[in-house]
Amino acid sequence: MRKPPKISSPKTHLFTDNIFSTMPAEEFYVRYYSGHQGRYGHEFIEFEFHADGRCRYANNSNYRNDSLIKKEMTVSSLMIKELKRIIEDSEIMKEDDQKWPKKNVVGKQELEIRYGNEHVSFETAKIGSLVDVQGSEDPEGLRVFYYLVQDLKCLVFSLITLHWKIKPI
Amino acid sequence: MTDRYAIDLSVRPGEDLQDEEMADQRGDGVHGSSFDMLRSNDDGASGQAMRSIEGWIVLIAGVHEEATEEDIQDKFGEYGEIKNVHLNLDRRTGYVKGYALIEYEAFSEAKAAIDNMNGSKLLDQTLACDFAFVKPSNTNDDRGRRGFSSRSRGGYNGRRSGRSRSPGRR
Repeated sequence: MRKPPKISSPKTHLFTDNIFSTMPAEEFYVRYYSGHQGRYGHEFIEFEFHADGRCRYANNSNYRNDSLIKKEMTVSSLMIKELKRIIEDSEIMKEDDQKWPKKNVVGKQELEIRYGNEHVSFETAKIGSLVDVQGSEDPEGLRVFYYLVQDLKCLVFSLITLHWKIKPI
Repeated sequence: MTDRYAIDLSVRPGEDLQDEEMADQRGDGVHGSSFDMLRSNDDGASGQAMRSIEGWIVLIAGVHEEATEEDIQDKFGEYGEIKNVHLNLDRRTGYVKGYALIEYEAFSEAKAAIDNMNGSKLLDQTLACDFAFVKPSNTNDDRGRRGFSSRSRGGYNGRRSGRSRSPGRR
């Protein structure tokens, strides 16, 4: 059963309140967030893609006086198509986060995808390694999430590195 | 299309990043809509190729999982010196994820690569090639950005000391 979309609290997220404001004909939206509150403040990375190609990235840490990085770029329709393929191939849309580890003091991750008629929103704890995946109640589902997130981050970091010539993290 | 673009790390009205005090008064670091963007200095239509900071980035999709950087180099090096290649791997399988991002210095090189290689084959798979970045749909448009203003976000109350000025602002 498809669970209803959870819209995360606007207090925590940069991008959440934009989801419905710019929805083009073909619905597609991806947002990932990973962060925690700690000694160095609210440390997080967050990125989002819209169907029209708009892509935003934000990353904050106060560690050694690092500061917020916010980047916006527009990717081509071929890039969005490739992103859709990666998401489709992962079969993440079939997963459910009900049995995934709950967010905790170490932090949380969120992945929100709106694709066609489907809208999924996952929330789980940070995953250190595959050991955490294997030890969870839904290793198959969590593994899908774990690898998809890595593949998405890898893509975003490449885009930022090439477009801006900075190391995003 | 011209090859010359100025880089402008734009700061939107009311969002002067140099003004640390103002930022501190607001009490958060993500207030407003100060997302850095590259801007092209011509009035090219939205959707047209966009220059990145050092060159033109071409996306190659449909890349075979066993393709190598050398394969990409061999095919695409013909159109100009490839300044950078990102041939990312699938984290689960360790094979190529299916796309590559390459950088050419000149627009003409990137355009020639796209025109010639789009639809061609590499290791029996058909490639799709296009620019990775395009001009925004409407640069002056604040649609979807309103949400950022007057947002407070707990956690790092204005501790933005040490923020250095963005490089490259002119």
